Amino acid sequence: MSMSMVVSNSYLDSILKGQPQLPPSSTTWFNQLRAHALEQAGTLQVPTTRDEEWRFTDISPLTRLPLRPSHAISAPQVTDVKRFQLDDTTIRLVFVDGAFMPHLSSRLEGSEHEGLVVTDLSVAVATHASVIEPHLGRLAGFENNLFAALNTAYLHHGALIIVSRNAKIQKPVHVLFIATQAGTAIHPRCLLIAQGGSEVTLVEDYVALQDEAYVTNAVTEIALENNARVNHVRVQRDSMEAFHIANCAVSVAHASCYRSVSVALGGRISRYDLNARLEAEGAECFIDGLALIKGRQLADTHTCIDHAKPPGTSRQSHKCIVDGAAHAVFNGKILVRAGALRTDSAQSSRNLLLSARARVDTKPQLEIFADDVKCAHGATVGQLDHEELFYLRSRGLAETAARNLLTYAFGAEIIDRIPIASLKYQLEQIVLEQTEKTGP
Amino acid sequence: MSAVLQNLVNQPYKHGFVTEIESDIAPKGLNEDIIKLISAKKGEPAWMLDFRLKAYYQWLKMDEPKWPNVKYPKIDFQAISYYAAPKPKKKLSSMDEVDPELLRTFEKLGVPMHERAALAGVAVDVIFDSVSVATTYKQKLAEVGIIFCSISEAVQMHPELVRQYLGTVVPVGDNYYAALNSAVFTDGTFCFIPKGVQCPMDLSTYFRINTEESGQFERTLIVAEEGASVSYLEGCTAPKFDTNQLHAAVVELVALDNADIKYSTVQNWYAGDENGLGGIYNFVTKRGLAKGTNSRISWTQVETGSAITWKYPSCILQGDNSVGEFYSVAVTNNYQQADTGTKMIHIGKNTRSTIVSKGISSGHSNNSYRGLVRIAPTAAGARNYSQCDSMLIGDKCGAHTFPYIQVRNQEAKVEHEASTSKIGEDQLFYFAQRGIGSEEAVSMIINGFCKDVFQQLPMEFAVEATKLLGFKLEGSVG
Repeated sequence: MSMSMVVSNSYLDSILKGQPQLPPSSTTWFNQLRAHALEQAGTLQVPTTRDEEWRFTDISPLTRLPLRPSHAISAPQVTDVKRFQLDDTTIRLVFVDGAFMPHLSSRLEGSEHEGLVVTDLSVAVATHASVIEPHLGRLAGFENNLFAALNTAYLHHGALIIVSRNAKIQKPVHVLFIATQAGTAIHPRCLLIAQGGSEVTLVEDYVALQDEAYVTNAVTEIALENNARVNHVRVQRDSMEAFHIANCAVSVAHASCYRSVSVALGGRISRYDLNARLEAEGAECFIDGLALIKGRQLADTHTCIDHAKPPGTSRQSHKCIVDGAAHAVFNGKILVRAGALRTDSAQSSRNLLLSARARVDTKPQLEIFADDVKCAHGATVGQLDHEELFYLRSRGLAETAARNLLTYAFGAEIIDRIPIASLKYQLEQIVLEQTEKTGP
Repeated sequence: MSAVLQNLVNQPYKHGFVTEIESDIAPKGLNEDIIKLISAKKGEPAWMLDFRLKAYYQWLKMDEPKWPNVKYPKIDFQAISYYAAPKPKKKLSSMDEVDPELLRTFEKLGVPMHERAALAGVAVDVIFDSVSVATTYKQKLAEVGIIFCSISEAVQMHPELVRQYLGTVVPVGDNYYAALNSAVFTDGTFCFIPKGVQCPMDLSTYFRINTEESGQFERTLIVAEEGASVSYLEGCTAPKFDTNQLHAAVVELVALDNADIKYSTVQNWYAGDENGLGGIYNFVTKRGLAKGTNSRISWTQVETGSAITWKYPSCILQGDNSVGEFYSVAVTNNYQQADTGTKMIHIGKNTRSTIVSKGISSGHSNNSYRGLVRIAPTAAGARNYSQCDSMLIGDKCGAHTFPYIQVRNQEAKVEHEASTSKIGEDQLFYFAQRGIGSEEAVSMIINGFCKDVFQQLPMEFAVEATKLLGFKLEGSVG
């Protein structure tokens, strides 16, 4: 990366305009982290399609969007956000345009007893500093990542979840990020620390009240300590005009297990980078993804599963359903470092094209530096099977219904892995609705 | 286990010797004058010089590619001599007049030309350093209208054909090394199969780099007209040197309607010593254009040599129903680096392609498969199947897979599979139980691993390739 201090870029200028107005924290390292990230952001350039990591995703439309700092002018009412609530979720954190909304969130006082801290980062940074400091801004490095640097420079509000040692949290934690204003840049932040032997389910949910153009630049950090189990569900249903850039970094320790299902539905251009590092013996991760896009949408998913120590296990299944003139991108890297023997890894990328103008670029990638490993990957691209369609039609289903059913079945395999019934139902409805609009 | 692997990795290069033949060497460096000198030495027409100069000016504006997964010190292109020709003693009218020193070289390589020509029915267009010195079977081929000669001869004798096709598949500015090749290529092979002709024998050329520090820039052009078919074999060995030698060849294939071209390579150039010193830099651009309807282009390669291999034999499937195939075995050892694979560009309707790639890495080597399957919006009904398997021997080596799949047509069907494995103790134990030593067992396991590719090779090459892998992997597991 170029070290030149050129921040003359008007895009970066506009996006950084709000930063000086952030209230300084009472915690020194927190302020330093922010300042360091701001400085780093100034040295980085906006990636272009000439960068290998951004080869298929042209984010120049993002840089043409005039941006202003977000100000929570009118906080939405409970009724506005009711439709996004999950019935069986009682622990809820709501952020509107990046700002924490206590009146929309669950009352958190009692939850402390159950071994769970769920709170706003700006408050907790003073009270839980020793737990937060080793992870915040360290898991998701920003030395070479402009968007992570920008997010960190804007560190203020954010979701903080700490699960105490051996606590098994039955209720999912639903973190809802709501966008309400056009032309703003929002920097949502999420930090989950699952201490030894604990279990938790996190739902990260991005929604919009209106169909407007704005930028979501999210960073999520998840640390699993020994024997921890984390279920991470991520739903991106931003507005169809929005730009969604997200980085998620996960560290998986000894004998711990990270499961993730991410679903991308919204956004004109969306990009999700997930880096999971299996740091110690017996770490496992299961990463699944679904992108359901149409029109002129672009959804890009980059994942990296880093097997650093022996023996680790990883499984990944990524699916894209692409309609209209939409464009899906997948880059799944599996890295097996020297010495990570007996690694067992399998990855599949399956893509369904529903229209003649749909486009898929997929690259399942293996980088292996150890011999005693079992690694496999596969990729397929295709359309609905004519024989399957014929079979359904021979049983009396109309062409459209048959197509919808098959498309739904293709996507349902991923959605089924979400452990929350109400969310699963909501997403299934969305998939059905989307496919219903598309017949031949 | 590790001892056998060690041995496998430590096989000395069996073809390391230098033939002392006086060479006519151009001064080191590259500039317009050198290109004019090469062109003048070869007595080329003006259009050929224009082609070279155009490539040279494109090259000046280009940068070396940074994306391959290989590391090497920066090449000083001004420290290379771009022209070396054995001094012609007199015009040769038969094989007996060929420099006996030269013949001995081929003898050592196990290429008995007379025998090969007579028994195997193979015409060998021998290329030594850069100038063709002996051509056999030309007469026989000429009878059916096939032109098989060195490219410099073709420039003189068949300028209209060369001009029509040269640079159409790999344009002069295609990539850094292709541009360099287009500017300075000294010789190579030209092959033209006219309409409806099935080439009666396998055509083959032995390439050999001889003069120290002279890069070799081969240019091969094969054209198969409507309904024609040809099988072309390319085998490579080079003597042992400590300074790296650059090899930047360009191969262009053109297949018209219903034509069929099969191109097979066994590459066993000097790979450097066990510490990674020396060895050939093999930066090659190979591409076939399946231009006509129902045309077929098939690449088969066995890559065992070179310090660095950077090579992606590709197919542009332009004609409807055209077929592209790529079968590859790449073996890397010691500090060798290979970044190889293929590109299948589907443009025509119902085009089909198959990719089978087997990578074996051992020692401290790195072996990458980098492939592209692109389905253009026009390629309705296109079909691709790719399979790339890696085998690792030892824990210091690396195997990497970078398959790019780009699909812009919903009717296309693309499948890609990859796996990684090693030779298991249990497999060796099983062999041992049946009285088969570990060395032989490894050889059998490797041959089984590569079977899908070896089956595609012409008979002579299949034998040679099996032997070659045997040499390479001998005594590697203990």
